[in-house]
Amino acid sequence: MSLLRSISDGLRSLFRKEQVNEELDEELNGFLEMAAEEKMKQGMSRKDALRAVRLERGTLEITKEVVRSAGWESSLETLWQDLRFATRMLGKNPGFTAAAVLAIALGVGINVGIFSVLNGAALRLLPIPRAEEVVSIDQIFHGRVTRNAHNGPSMFSYSEYLDYRDHNHVFSGLLAYEPFVEATLGGGTMRGLSGALATCNYFDVLGEHPVQGRGFLESDCATPGGNAVVVISDDLWRGTFASDPSLVGKRIILNRTAYIVVGIAPPGFKGTEPIPSSFWAPITMQKALDPWSDRIADDNLSWLALLGRVQRGTTMEQVRGDLAVIAGRIDQLHPGRTTSLAVRTATFFNRQMEREILTPVVSVILAAFGLVLLVACANVANLLLARASVRQKEIALRLSIGASRWRLVRQLLTESLLLSLTGGALGSLLAFWSFTSITRLIISHLPHEAATLIVNVAPDFRVLAYALGLTVFTGIAFGLIPALQSSRQDLNTALKEDGIQRSGGREGGRFLRSALVGTQVAVCTILLLATGLLLRGLYYAQTLDPGFEMKGVATMFLNLGQQGYTEKRGTAFMASLQQRISGLPGVVEVAHAECAPLSHDFSADAFTVSGRVEKIGIEYNHVSPEYFSVVGIPIVRGRGFRPGETHDSPGVVVTESTARRLWPDEDPLAKTLRESSGREYSVIGVARDAQVAHLGDAHTTYLYFPAGTPDNLRAYVLVRYAGDFPATAKAIRDVVQSLDAETPADVIKLEDYLEVWRMPSRIVAALSGALGALALLLASIGVYGVVSYSVSRRVHEIGVRMALGADGSEIMNLVLRQAMRPVLVGGLVGVAGCAAVSQVLSGMLFCLSAHDPVAFISVPLFLLAVALLASYVPARGALRVDPMVALRYE
Amino acid sequence: MHGYCIAVRLEQMSQGVFRLNAGSLFVAVQRLQRDGLIRGEWKATENSRRAKYYALTEKGQKRLNSETREWGRQVAAIARILEA
Repeated sequence: MSLLRSISDGLRSLFRKEQVNEELDEELNGFLEMAAEEKMKQGMSRKDALRAVRLERGTLEITKEVVRSAGWESSLETLWQDLRFATRMLGKNPGFTAAAVLAIALGVGINVGIFSVLNGAALRLLPIPRAEEVVSIDQIFHGRVTRNAHNGPSMFSYSEYLDYRDHNHVFSGLLAYEPFVEATLGGGTMRGLSGALATCNYFDVLGEHPVQGRGFLESDCATPGGNAVVVISDDLWRGTFASDPSLVGKRIILNRTAYIVVGIAPPGFKGTEPIPSSFWAPITMQKALDPWSDRIADDNLSWLALLGRVQRGTTMEQVRGDLAVIAGRIDQLHPGRTTSLAVRTATFFNRQMEREILTPVVSVILAAFGLVLLVACANVANLLLARASVRQKEIALRLSIGASRWRLVRQLLTESLLLSLTGGALGSLLAFWSFTSITRLIISHLPHEAATLIVNVAPDFRVLAYALGLTVFTGIAFGLIPALQSSRQDLNTALKEDGIQRSGGREGGRFLRSALVGTQVAVCTILLLATGLLLRGLYYAQTLDPGFEMKGVATMFLNLGQQGYTEKRGTAFMASLQQRISGLPGVVEVAHAECAPLSHDFSADAFTVSGRVEKIGIEYNHVSPEYFSVVGIPIVRGRGFRPGETHDSPGVVVTESTARRLWPDEDPLAKTLRESSGREYSVIGVARDAQVAHLGDAHTTYLYFPAGTPDNLRAYVLVRYAGDFPATAKAIRDVVQSLDAETPADVIKLEDYLEVWRMPSRIVAALSGALGALALLLASIGVYGVVSYSVSRRVHEIGVRMALGADGSEIMNLVLRQAMRPVLVGGLVGVAGCAAVSQVLSGMLFCLSAHDPVAFISVPLFLLAVALLASYVPARGALRVDPMVALRYE
Repeated sequence: MHGYCIAVRLEQMSQGVFRLNAGSLFVAVQRLQRDGLIRGEWKATENSRRAKYYALTEKGQKRLNSETREWGRQVAAIARILEA
């Protein structure tokens, strides 16, 4: 009630100001008159009476001010006044305003843009109905763990899923699915697809019901392998099946099994992973899609992601508590193991492992973009500081007629907030508008596998909140220091025109400006130096010798096991394939291996040297006898493999580094090595070191075993050719087709794997290069501004010096020396900072030397040159000073 | 009672201890009015001048009673403490 009255009274005095003022006037006047009349009755003259009253009770104007500022509406009114004044002030200096707004728009814009991308990728909820109810569950094991992982270590086995599904009291539905299931679409158009195996409540729990046909029924998941039905994505239906209206009910072939299409997912639904899903099959069809592995039966395999829809009115704590009970019960079956569950509202990145990678990467990116904003802020702060000293007189005047310092700071902050809000709004608008198309452009340039990432960069409340927060922070960050600085001054000197230019009080201002320039230069140095290091790394990668012959080798990955081959058929297939490819014109030699060099396919085991206890983790490969000559790795001691040697043979080939590490100063030949299963191998040969597993790392331990029958079901075929690549690739594909028309054959150059290794460096280099260029632009504007300002303020001093006989070069020296001091300090700080950053980077990116001398010398020199130019241009203005004019200036 | 009257009465009753200046008085009056404890009305004075007369509202009366009690309690308590 009283709050309402207070508001309505306040509003009344805001909007009917005249009337309220008149009333207050009349009431106060009446009060003073009456007091005066009283005095006059005691015999005072009217004049004396009024004077006495004023002394006793206060004057009319001050009282009015006191009464008026007591209500809440007065602070609103002040704000309004400040805003109007700020708008006028900014309007009066369009050049300054435009420069400041642009700098802020740029800084805020790119930050909001990158945040909306990250938000779209990692923070946004799934695009499904009532997504806030859907949670993801991850399990993290502690203690004694022997667990196999198919996709991620924090995923669930099928029996665990059933346990959680049947015994929880918090979900209206709990689903499980295996993401990233590869399948080959057969029947004329052969295509590799990525899809998911899902429990049959999948579409019901997510609330995404197919528009055509149906989702899964409980009966679809009743018998293992029994129901070959599939729901396909809208994209697949429109693309590959040309929107065939009668597709539902027809059969499609996936990995040689026919599935009936029972439904087409709603447009826009692409699954719940960042890589879109093209099809969904019942989880019971797992073995049909991958005949060589039976995941449903394996209770100790992590392969399923879990999503649950929480019942209405159930809190997250209740969910966690309820699920923890089930986890505790499962743990009792595994002595020594405890499981903690991570339950969070589901997004596109849920799994513990993904988040552990994502968080540092995102922080580094946000920090880099934040640095550019920092440079922009420093620029605007510098502009404001420069302007504040022009407004010195105005501020001094306000202080001297009674404005409080807080009142002045508030008014100056209003101005800077108005600036930052204008800039922020402009920048955000630009970001929303441009980042959608920029993201699309970048994604289309990524390699094929990543090309279909789902990223929705459209702004939502989180992005808007970020933009607003950032803008307000910016406004205060660049506004506060100048405001505090300029409201603290010596009135006497400031009011004298002369005082402005010579007063010692301005030393503080100059130091601040120098510090700001130094910061800018430091940030610039870090960003550009990082770019320089990355470019050097890329150059090194381009010219690097991986220790094997990469050129002239074609490679093709065959997963015959997934295509339903038995070992016998697979072996026959591979034998005739190798024989027929060898007979092709232009083909020099053919080999196959478990992993192709640099293909991101790794196998490793723990080995022990006989006579010792320590276990050493070593990566290995199974290769056919021709492998070493096809990829050009010479055997330096002993021999390679002979035809007929298989998994059962006792021989192993080690690399030089391995030999040195395991048997230093001994002859490695005939030494024995035991694998974790207890089986022993003896060394028959030593191969030269090569970077076959990890680029940029030649001196790791590595073993070669002879290829055997299992390798025929999943192998990389490597072909050394002498002719041109397209013809060879086509010939190889034709051979595969003629042997089995249903087996997909994708032939690429071995060098193409290199690109995947280089890409992260390339992206980071491009990013930090662009940011560095932006920062450099802003910083040089900053240097330019500061120097030209200081020259213009020192016209008088320069005039005196010239009149006393200083010549042009001396003046130039003076100005430049002063301008370059903060640049040099900032540059040094930047170099030191980058040395720290590059330590971190070199761990993340390959071929990056943390202390590359070329980068560390050339980048700072380049920066120095730019800064020198930026100060030279305005410094020339100092030379044109005419001593006569300068001395008459005041 | 109008503003001046309030000031004079307070001064008389306190025998000159409380001499209010216009600023403090009218700020307080404005606050009481916004809290709904008093209400004001323009009327003519005995010297046929216009003035705003203030009176306690019902809510104001209740508040006055409770505050008076509270004040009495406190003053009594302080007095007891000082006497002891």
